[in-house]
Amino acid sequence: MKRWRTSGEGGWPWLAAGGVAVSLLMVVALLMLIAGRGLAHFWPASLERVTLADGAVIAGEPVRHVTTRDGRDEWLYRTGNRDLDGRTWRWLEAGDIVSRTRPGDLLELQRERWGPFIGRLVAVREADTTVIDATAGSARRWQALETRLARARALRETIETRRRETIAPLARQLAAGTASAEQRAAFERARDALTGLREALARDSLVLESVDGRRLEQPLATVLDAWRPNAMGTLDKLGLWGRRVWAFLSEGPRSANGSDGVWPAIFGTVLLVLLMSLLVTPFGVLAAVYLHEVARQGPVTRAVRIAVRNLAGVPSIVYGVFGLGVFVYGIGGTLDRWFFSEALPSPTFGTGGLLWAALTLALLTLPVVIVATEEGLARIPDHQREGALALGATHYETLTRVVLPMAMPAMLTGVILAVARAAGEVAPLMLVGVAKLAPQLPVDGEFPYLHLDGKFMHLGYHIYNLGFQSADAEQALPLVYATALLLVAVIVVLNLTAIFLRHHLRQRHRALRH
Amino acid sequence: MPDFPTPSHRLHRRWRRLRDRLAAGTIRAGGLGVIVAVLAIGVFLAVEVVPLFAPARVTTEASRDLEGTGAAVGLVPTAAGDVLVIDRDGGYRRIAPGADAIDAARIPAERLDGRSVTGLSAGPDALVLALSGGEVLRVPRRAEARPDGPGTRRYTLFAGETIAALASAGDGERWWLAGRDAAGRVAVLRGDGEAVERFVLPDAASALALDPDGRLVLGDGHELAVWSLAAGEPRRLGRLPVLPDDRRITALSYLSGGETLLVGDSRGGVHRWLDRHDDAEPLLAAPDYAVSGDSTAVTRLVPVPGRRLAVALHADGGLALYQALNGRVWQGAPAAAESPLALAVSADGRRLWWLAADGLKTLTLAAGHAEVSWRTLWTPVLYEGHMQPRQRWQANVSSPESEAHFGLAPLAWGTLKAAFWALVFAVPLALAAAVHTAAYMGPALRARVRPALELMESLPGVVIGFVAGLVLAPWVDRHLAGSLLLLVVLPVGTLVAGMLQARLPAVARRCLPLAAAGLWLVPWLALLAWLSFSVSPLIEGWLFAGDLPGWLKDRWGLDYASRNALIVGLAMGFAVIPTIYALAEDALSDVPRSLDEGAQALGATRWQALTRVWLPAAGPGIFSAVMIGAGRAVGETMIVLMATGNTAIFGVSPFEGLRSIAANLAIELPEAAVGGSHYRVLFLSALVLFVFTFCVNTLAELVRQRLRRRWRRLGAVG
Repeated sequence: MKRWRTSGEGGWPWLAAGGVAVSLLMVVALLMLIAGRGLAHFWPASLERVTLADGAVIAGEPVRHVTTRDGRDEWLYRTGNRDLDGRTWRWLEAGDIVSRTRPGDLLELQRERWGPFIGRLVAVREADTTVIDATAGSARRWQALETRLARARALRETIETRRRETIAPLARQLAAGTASAEQRAAFERARDALTGLREALARDSLVLESVDGRRLEQPLATVLDAWRPNAMGTLDKLGLWGRRVWAFLSEGPRSANGSDGVWPAIFGTVLLVLLMSLLVTPFGVLAAVYLHEVARQGPVTRAVRIAVRNLAGVPSIVYGVFGLGVFVYGIGGTLDRWFFSEALPSPTFGTGGLLWAALTLALLTLPVVIVATEEGLARIPDHQREGALALGATHYETLTRVVLPMAMPAMLTGVILAVARAAGEVAPLMLVGVAKLAPQLPVDGEFPYLHLDGKFMHLGYHIYNLGFQSADAEQALPLVYATALLLVAVIVVLNLTAIFLRHHLRQRHRALRH
Repeated sequence: MPDFPTPSHRLHRRWRRLRDRLAAGTIRAGGLGVIVAVLAIGVFLAVEVVPLFAPARVTTEASRDLEGTGAAVGLVPTAAGDVLVIDRDGGYRRIAPGADAIDAARIPAERLDGRSVTGLSAGPDALVLALSGGEVLRVPRRAEARPDGPGTRRYTLFAGETIAALASAGDGERWWLAGRDAAGRVAVLRGDGEAVERFVLPDAASALALDPDGRLVLGDGHELAVWSLAAGEPRRLGRLPVLPDDRRITALSYLSGGETLLVGDSRGGVHRWLDRHDDAEPLLAAPDYAVSGDSTAVTRLVPVPGRRLAVALHADGGLALYQALNGRVWQGAPAAAESPLALAVSADGRRLWWLAADGLKTLTLAAGHAEVSWRTLWTPVLYEGHMQPRQRWQANVSSPESEAHFGLAPLAWGTLKAAFWALVFAVPLALAAAVHTAAYMGPALRARVRPALELMESLPGVVIGFVAGLVLAPWVDRHLAGSLLLLVVLPVGTLVAGMLQARLPAVARRCLPLAAAGLWLVPWLALLAWLSFSVSPLIEGWLFAGDLPGWLKDRWGLDYASRNALIVGLAMGFAVIPTIYALAEDALSDVPRSLDEGAQALGATRWQALTRVWLPAAGPGIFSAVMIGAGRAVGETMIVLMATGNTAIFGVSPFEGLRSIAANLAIELPEAAVGGSHYRVLFLSALVLFVFTFCVNTLAELVRQRLRRRWRRLGAVG
């Protein structure tokens, strides 16, 4: 103890070091938690066949092991089969479990309705005749399923492409009444072809059996994916994992609070942030240039500068309130009365939408851009400006040819910081137009292509909505992790870019000063 | 380019000058515009809030001469916004406000049976006409409120006497009708489907009122008698003096919703009594209104539909508006020379009709936000259905029958409570980290650690909130003892690490220096955390019988809610640590090195130099860092929204939930009706938030700038 006191300086410095350590520990723990859970969700986990003490048999994926306060050990199993059991989750007491095995022929199906199926494949039927039945080996049945699933997938894709590329434009023209007789005929033909494709898709069906012996027939058209995790090697699992991650990123959500797919949310977030930066950059730079280059420096300018700086600290929800009152109800309501009165009382611009959300976020991030740009302008040595003026340039020319190019990285930093802040803001969006479910993207092939009055989805709000408003929180939780991971990744990348740029900028100016 | 005065060059020069001037103008206009637009936020919020505090007013809108109003007995407002003027002989006229559209009709003679109409009572479920000879005609209300609609029945209330006053109430199937004659005797009709019973009560009354549950209140002298007519024989629940002896009850009326009874007295006072839903003590006195005046008697009280508002008519013809919570909100001179034959309020509550012998006057009631006053927002108020004054926020009411509670105090309290616990977590950690980074850490490590902690700031609130609400809260709920143990284990563990390090051989000590302790303590602390969670069930079993939340409840009466203030504090603390850390670290590194070096040269240890020289010097900067952190904690929305149960509780226990202003805005504003009281009160709360954070930030910024100027004078900051 004595040695500690004399050699060092007692316990206080250690406690201070503990502050750093605890903070770092929390960040690392949080990031690891999100990354781990978010990525693990897509991993095809092994399925277990569990025999209980009372003789019942269930199959499912063990999700969690919990010791309750009164000392009971409980396992949570994801058992799927909501159409058979009426539930997807089972809590099992550890003491009731007699045996757990991992039979290789257990498969999991991802279906359009009723969530996943976990059980066995008994037979494959084609147009009401059993093609492959239980006498064929499990491997052959699986093979048949795989080939037919690939065919169904290809058919589904063809249907989707046809509908998007051939039928939808023709249908639009028909609806508008501008279609020629030829186009009408083409539309009929395309529709017939589509019906044929649909019939082909509906050809196959599967006979499935849960582990306790209940059977059901599942049309293959409604099966999205199938895998046998217990029989898969690591590489196969990795491939499937990649496929599921890709599906998560590229597909839309299938039901209101349900599973999968955040593509519209990614798209909405990116579009919103893009629009916002288009709005915030010119105005922010203009205000900063005015404050630093044009306005006379005095107590008023200083007060304005402090006020602008403080606005960055005003809670984002207050901006949301402002956006709702001014943009949505004020300007939007007026626009509706002037230009869209035929649609009233259902509002066009008088309700939350993409444009108002982008404007609100632009206002919210304006102080960030102004402050960053001003800092950049302040870093430019005065002799640069004086040199330009001495060579006969006007103020405007000095500004555009010398000052602004030199301040460019600072502006960029400001915009990126603004984007990073805006991407993570959810509270104001809840007031000015984010939607729970808007699978229709706000950009499409229809005039005016970009629908500024449209509702949109947002990654951050998706997290809130999935986690707190969905019916099956247990099922939503892994998706929330995955969405959170995505959002954090986007923001961290943006921030790292800003940090890198700032560093680069400082280097450059250090060089300039000497 | 050489500059010659050729015409083209002159043109070019002029063009350049023009462009320069244009650009300067554009920048000036644009820049000023942007700055004004940004600063307009506060102004806009204030503009939206101002109507909330605009005084209530009643103004004369129109006055229309009507023939033969001398023969009129009453007014019936219709759901469409019109009013029916009912004459003694059974004729009635429909009059639209502001328009001349008048159509006239007559109640069929066989309905009246040769009697004349002497009075009426227009309740929400039925219109009741008093006929001469003690008969009544009850007309179930339909949309257009014609006094001869289908389902009309005639009953006898008093045989042969004239009915002086009527009151009616009901809910479709069951209804009640009470009347008194000129001598003050009271008779009651109770209908249940087709069955109708008649009772005569032994009490006399000068005024009467019925609530929708069949409770009859009679005013006699300075006493109220309360009767229950709900079932069986009428029962008198109680008789209580409600006024001093020198006053008499002259008017009685239930406000919309049937929970608040207003009592008008002979000296112009109005008093509020609440239904207690308790048969032994049927009524609860509310504190007297600040102005319970001394003027002429209150002769009539007319409730405004859908509002906790009533119009009081005085004997001299003067009008006043009373709001249940705020008392008298407006008082005015008589609208006409003589007192009115009838007074009625339109169904939307915006218009008051005053029927005089020479015509019909229309008055506008402008009392849109009479429920809200500075007092009801911030002080305890006795609401309907409560025994004591309370601070409550319950703005979403399902129907006009229930009263909205606009008390901002619980929300402000929740906001401050969340911010307080956030700071309790964040300030020690952030300041410790800042001190360590600034004073002990080497520059290379510092250049890595600082961005890592700053990156923490950019983690979106929605992610932190989700982890706090869905992962941390249930986890802490299950491992409460372990989590609380952590608060002891982590600092003690750090000290133990320091002690152990001092005992290590010199080589090992060089590998684990204090300067890098921020890094190598991480695995050590993680190990300790894991250990404390492993042993905590044992400790919990030993000290608290295995159930800490139960122990807390038994011993201290603390309810443990899984999403509570501590969880919010931890999550929001996590969010504000980087803010406070970065600013405090800046403040510490801005202190001129010479001060530190001087102190150390005089023989101070690092820590002594830090506490005696650095910290006092950087004090204002650290203060401003904490202030800015507080500002951020106050306004954070998503974390509070997700990590608490969002219950507006006014309590001190850290284990209860809370509801903050910001979260409340996110929840309620999208659903609030534009321009309504709720909407404007929410804007007021946003304004409060804005002003609070703006002031806190300005203070912090001023402190910081002064400090910077001081160091610049010392020549320390480049």
